[in-house]
Amino acid sequence: MKPEQLSIEGIQEILRSERYICDRSLATVVYLSLVMGKPLLLEGEAGVGKTEIAKVLAKVLDAKLIRLQCYEGLDANTALYEWNYPKQMLRIKLEEVGHGDKEAVETEIFTEEYLVKRPLLEAIQSDGANPPVLLIDEIDRADMEFEAFLLEVLSDFQITIPEIGTLKAKHRPYVFLTSNRTREIHDALKRRCLYHWIEYPSFEKEYEIITTKFPEIESLMARQICAFMQKVREMNFYKRPGVAETLDWAAALIALNRRGLDDKTVVETMGCVFKYREDLHHLREQIDARQLNLEALLRAAPELAG
Amino acid sequence: MEITRETVAAAVNSYSSVRGHGTLANLMSFARVLKQLGVKIGLSQVIDAARAVRLIDIADRGDFRALLRANLISQKEDFPIFDLAFDCFWREQSYEKVDPEDLETQGEPQESGGRDGGEEQGLEEALADGFAREDSPREPLEEISVPAYSPQESLNQKDFSEMGIEESRAIARAILLIATKIATQISRRKKRARRGATVDPRWTLRRSMKYGGEVVELVNRKRRVKKTRVVLLCDVSGSMDCYSRFLIQFMYGLQNELWGVETFVFSTSLSRITHLIRTKDIGNALEKISGSVLGWSGGTNIGRSLHTFNRHFAPSMMTHRTVTVIISDGWDRGDVGLLEAEMRALKRRCRTVIWLNPLLASENYEPLCKGMQAALPYIDFFLSAHNVDSLVRLGRTLQKMVA
Repeated sequence: MKPEQLSIEGIQEILRSERYICDRSLATVVYLSLVMGKPLLLEGEAGVGKTEIAKVLAKVLDAKLIRLQCYEGLDANTALYEWNYPKQMLRIKLEEVGHGDKEAVETEIFTEEYLVKRPLLEAIQSDGANPPVLLIDEIDRADMEFEAFLLEVLSDFQITIPEIGTLKAKHRPYVFLTSNRTREIHDALKRRCLYHWIEYPSFEKEYEIITTKFPEIESLMARQICAFMQKVREMNFYKRPGVAETLDWAAALIALNRRGLDDKTVVETMGCVFKYREDLHHLREQIDARQLNLEALLRAAPELAG
Repeated sequence: MEITRETVAAAVNSYSSVRGHGTLANLMSFARVLKQLGVKIGLSQVIDAARAVRLIDIADRGDFRALLRANLISQKEDFPIFDLAFDCFWREQSYEKVDPEDLETQGEPQESGGRDGGEEQGLEEALADGFAREDSPREPLEEISVPAYSPQESLNQKDFSEMGIEESRAIARAILLIATKIATQISRRKKRARRGATVDPRWTLRRSMKYGGEVVELVNRKRRVKKTRVVLLCDVSGSMDCYSRFLIQFMYGLQNELWGVETFVFSTSLSRITHLIRTKDIGNALEKISGSVLGWSGGTNIGRSLHTFNRHFAPSMMTHRTVTVIISDGWDRGDVGLLEAEMRALKRRCRTVIWLNPLLASENYEPLCKGMQAALPYIDFFLSAHNVDSLVRLGRTLQKMVA
């Protein structure tokens, strides 16, 4: 699929065919990002589907997904390229045995053959039929220095290797950046990107997500799960659960052959939703104190059309 | 500046004279309105927005809104401003005037027929005219500046005790930003130290065995990262009420980025609150803490509180690298002898004791009260912490300690 053939509706549709439910404003931004060739910076709480959308897009665009996971201390060498030293050494040894031309070897071992490509170089060098999708995940975890370096790569889509020269992108990759906001991203980088904040889904959207992913799920239980998730996101937990947790939980409940939720089931399976001891404790208190009442939640949940 | 419907309307009206002369002009005016309302926008973003308009069916107002928002806004906090400004600016009738044709012709010099600059060039020139060029991609990322926050200048100097609720929200946000910046600086320092590691000859040789004795990889001798823990003991008795909240907020900001910050509050007794402030909404957490901590806003017994700390927490938390920060005005109602003994014990256990006293800021303050007198010999740094400036100084001091 070529992005030129796409429309905003088209994006919504093909993402849905891969079971990713996306609202119109996100589809608009994704469409613009693909057509304008401008990186898209996605922010939002953990587990709302920031990384997922890049993966799904790569699939539907029939593009190679190249992922760069950021972490503190990530440097240009790890992200870009490195020389394959053992291979170079071996070559030198071989030439020594055969009394080859020393000077020729020196130039030959600094060619692309001896280059270990890291994600960014790979994205630029990718020569598939379609441009690759480059996912730069959790950019907020990398240092500022790396951000500055990235700025350069993302504006020119070319990389200079001193021994070889400048390598230009064959296709301009589709770039997606995600951030969990553990720190602010520099304005200069933000300015190069389109920006979108992915919200937690509404009750209706989350219901759609669950039933699309698990068509076999009981409708009542799906509604109970959604109502429960909507409620706990309003409450004061250290780590509010995202859609990823919702799906884990639904999968677990299906595996356990549950058809509906009750307090006991919730308590038993809460490890799927909350990953901190304090949060589990808090949840238990709330259930015991009848602050969280499944029946009441379901009554308050909106009616679903159809 | 507080953003209300009125301020947005005022900003929109101040550009009413440029309105209605084509869509490009409208788009530029809209960007200027946003800038005036405090949104950071670069020229390149406006250009991209103008280009993007051609890509969608702009008859759909929702899509048009999504398009402008994705291009012009780059943080979630600005969404409400954007939405207000969008509704106010692109009212139905002027919205209909948005026409991609306009954009293309607007970009060209109107009088001359020459098209040498190319379409995009023209667009850029047209936009640059009157729109301050602030887009400087090569600006150094390293630079640490105090966050650009409009009420900042006047608030920097203002004593925490004089602030109203509105101001304190603003200042709390500023404090968090400062704390985060300082903490980021610290973590980067550590990394540099690691990078300057030396080559380990022994391991390099051993590793070379698998390549037949050829030195292929250099193995670095990494310095073991020694982590410095910061322990905060914060006085929350009545006399300190207005200060403690901000200081805890400051430490909360540091805790987010820094390894091993432990936070305690004390008045007549001591409570550990590290786990309680490990939440997203610090204001809410503070409410909860003040509800659950005994003696919040009551009297002070520093000696007894320190005793509890030294006995129950110090053994597992304190090493010769720990920095202890005590925040208190030193007004003590307890046993001065006990206070002195516990200060001595504390000092022996850790590397540095910083005492922050908000009263230190006033010119005629002398640490005359008995509690403060008893503690003084065991304090390495005696600093004030009563406003944002003093917190910035505290941050720098900590930075030197921890790095």
